[in-house]
Amino acid sequence: MPYTRSPVARYLPLFVAALTMLGGSVAAQADATLDKIQQRHRVVVGVLLSGGPFGSIDPMTQKPKGLNVDLAEDVARQLGAEVELVPVLPANRVQFLQQGKVDLLIANMEWTVERGEQLGFVPTPFYRVGGTAAVLKDSAITRWEDLKDQPVCTSQGSSYIKPLTGFGADIKAFKSSSESLLALRGNNCVAAVHDATLINPLVAEGPEWQNYRAISPELNPAPSVIWTRPGETDTQARLDSIVKGWHRTGWLIDAEKRHHISPPSPALVELHDKFQAAGA
Amino acid sequence: MATDYPAAASISWPRRHPGKLLLAVIVVLWMAFGAPVNPAFVALLEWSPALASGFGQNIVISLLAIALGSVAGLMIGALSASPFRVARLPARIWVQVFRNAPWLVLIYFTTYVFPFELHIGTTWIAFPDWVKVTMGLALPASANVAEVFRGAMASIPDTQWEASRSLAFTRGQIVRSIILPQCFKRMLPPWMNLYAVITMGTALASLVGVHDLIDTAQIASNTVNRTGFTVLIYFSVLGLFFAWCYPISRLTQRLERRYAFS
Amino acid sequence: MTHLLELLVQTAARFGLNYGFLLDAYQRASLVNGALTSIALCAVTIVGSLAAGLLLASMLTSGRVWIARPARVFIEVTRNTPTLVQLYCAFLVLNMLLTQAIGTANPLTPFAWVVIVISLHKGAFHAEALRAGIEAVPAVTLEAASSLAFNSRQLLWNVQLPLALRFALPSLINNLIDLVKMTAVASAIAVGDITYASIMIWTQSDNVLELMILLLAFFGLLSFIVNCAGRALEARLRMPGYGH
Repeated sequence: MPYTRSPVARYLPLFVAALTMLGGSVAAQADATLDKIQQRHRVVVGVLLSGGPFGSIDPMTQKPKGLNVDLAEDVARQLGAEVELVPVLPANRVQFLQQGKVDLLIANMEWTVERGEQLGFVPTPFYRVGGTAAVLKDSAITRWEDLKDQPVCTSQGSSYIKPLTGFGADIKAFKSSSESLLALRGNNCVAAVHDATLINPLVAEGPEWQNYRAISPELNPAPSVIWTRPGETDTQARLDSIVKGWHRTGWLIDAEKRHHISPPSPALVELHDKFQAAGA
Repeated sequence: MATDYPAAASISWPRRHPGKLLLAVIVVLWMAFGAPVNPAFVALLEWSPALASGFGQNIVISLLAIALGSVAGLMIGALSASPFRVARLPARIWVQVFRNAPWLVLIYFTTYVFPFELHIGTTWIAFPDWVKVTMGLALPASANVAEVFRGAMASIPDTQWEASRSLAFTRGQIVRSIILPQCFKRMLPPWMNLYAVITMGTALASLVGVHDLIDTAQIASNTVNRTGFTVLIYFSVLGLFFAWCYPISRLTQRLERRYAFS
Repeated sequence: MTHLLELLVQTAARFGLNYGFLLDAYQRASLVNGALTSIALCAVTIVGSLAAGLLLASMLTSGRVWIARPARVFIEVTRNTPTLVQLYCAFLVLNMLLTQAIGTANPLTPFAWVVIVISLHKGAFHAEALRAGIEAVPAVTLEAASSLAFNSRQLLWNVQLPLALRFALPSLINNLIDLVKMTAVASAIAVGDITYASIMIWTQSDNVLELMILLLAFFGLLSFIVNCAGRALEARLRMPGYGH
């Protein structure tokens, strides 16, 4: 039978459009977040589990652990609900939030102007970190501008893609930081760009990474905030008071030490002093 | 080939495969004495429950996908063999579309386009990611099962149809009582082959964020952060998939040989 | 040209589909580059897989155990493990070990690794099809040829392979269509094919559906071309007495 495309070309868009309408009708009925949380006594938080101190899996219990997880659990405790953790990837975290699959995002997602316009966020940040690049010790790269026209590995959906494209780098985006770092070790890119809290501990500890160093200054140091859907002002206000409480009591600094996050962020100390002065 | 089995069966298994036996003994000795000292192997042992539960996720996806795909594929295969053109055409289109689409694109499609929750009445039913991946794999599975079914029906000699028609069976009765039972035996080897291919396709689930074996291996590799461990864990993932799919493939070959002359 | 694109984007917008990225020069260029990379990947991998399949099939049917056994082990391992995992093992693990061993002299790019892995994977399937074809060559023909003093290498090249190719052609064409679809997996290691370009676009602007339609149409078109080429080849190489 001769292979024809025209019936497919006619029917596929209809099939696909029917699916889109189904998706759209369901998404339009999502409740306001705080009401939904209180109604269901459950808050769904998207956390990034890429391995490392912020989010990882405990091999004994196969449960998520890390700073992101501690933050999510404390938010749920203070809201009087139980927490449901949904692992997200940098490539799909925004979609999950927008579709309503998660109510909040605590996913190493720094504030940028574009994201601030697209999504809602809690005004007080809980961390501050910028990007750095891991390069070979004897590499010629010392500044960000040296990355022009060079292959650079990072993760899909990372906030560093835009500034790196601005420097003219040839971006190779992988699903998560784990593959990107392995690609760097395999010499497929001259640098791997991720959060400083991921790269700095790696190049500091030997022996695997002793031939690598991190370049400074940090790229786009930006506050890490908890993200919500746009327009959710009640949720944001409620969470804002929770985050201020974390800073005031020094709970965040303890959590940072507990998870061996190094170097310790100076921003946390600043915010602790600021809110202690304001609150006490 | 069938004639040399009786002669070989009279020699016991250990004598017939001395190389394999020696290899097995060496592996067992190494695991008992050499391995616990090696830090990469210790870490692998520590992570093996997590790996096992991740692989369980892959297996669940594959079983569900082949089940859904087979049910849908049988219906579509039956439609495509119908004497009415209006029934044949949608079935042919379905088969052509889903056999020519890359599985990765179909998985991305079902994961990102479908909603994450279904609102039926007053209840909300969760539609988790792995179910979406299952549906993404069930689509090409159904197209392949339909083709296998059509091929099996076409391989039944025309004489069966003519003889049953001369005995006054209606078309429906012919298909149900005479053709289908013969078809199922012929469909079994390619269907099992399809199951093995679908199990390997579940590896793609890690690219959309499903917490499966490969995702667990990547998190483990990032957490432990040692080259020896990374090498070991990626090759263990390969080994796990091989351990599941190879017996299926051998069984398929045995069934093919058994049914070849029937 | 831009006027035509704007017309396209407007008609698509009436169906609720956002094809605005076609008007942005950077994203459009990355998509076109991706399409060209995919086509190049398919072309090189088709040639590579056929060569690998030929080599493996001749190893399998050589009749010598120390050649046939490793080929069989290799074929069983590649056929029973997922391509994605093989790609990760090759690109993330072997490449890293290779670099640790020979430093920056490592010439293999991600593109090269994808070609190697997919060629070997599909080569195993081709080898099985060719082996079935070689075994289907009538024994009478082989005896007649060896009575004319063909040695075993000449027998393979001049008698068995041409006939085996014709017997195995439908399976080979099916495998090649599978190969075209399999190249989408290259996006997992950031090779820059059309799937990767689409992922980069939809993680920025969230228009997954529109890009999916584009991808399905692109791969459908490639499969269709391979299918047509295969049928034309089948028609040209048809043997009298073995028609369908």
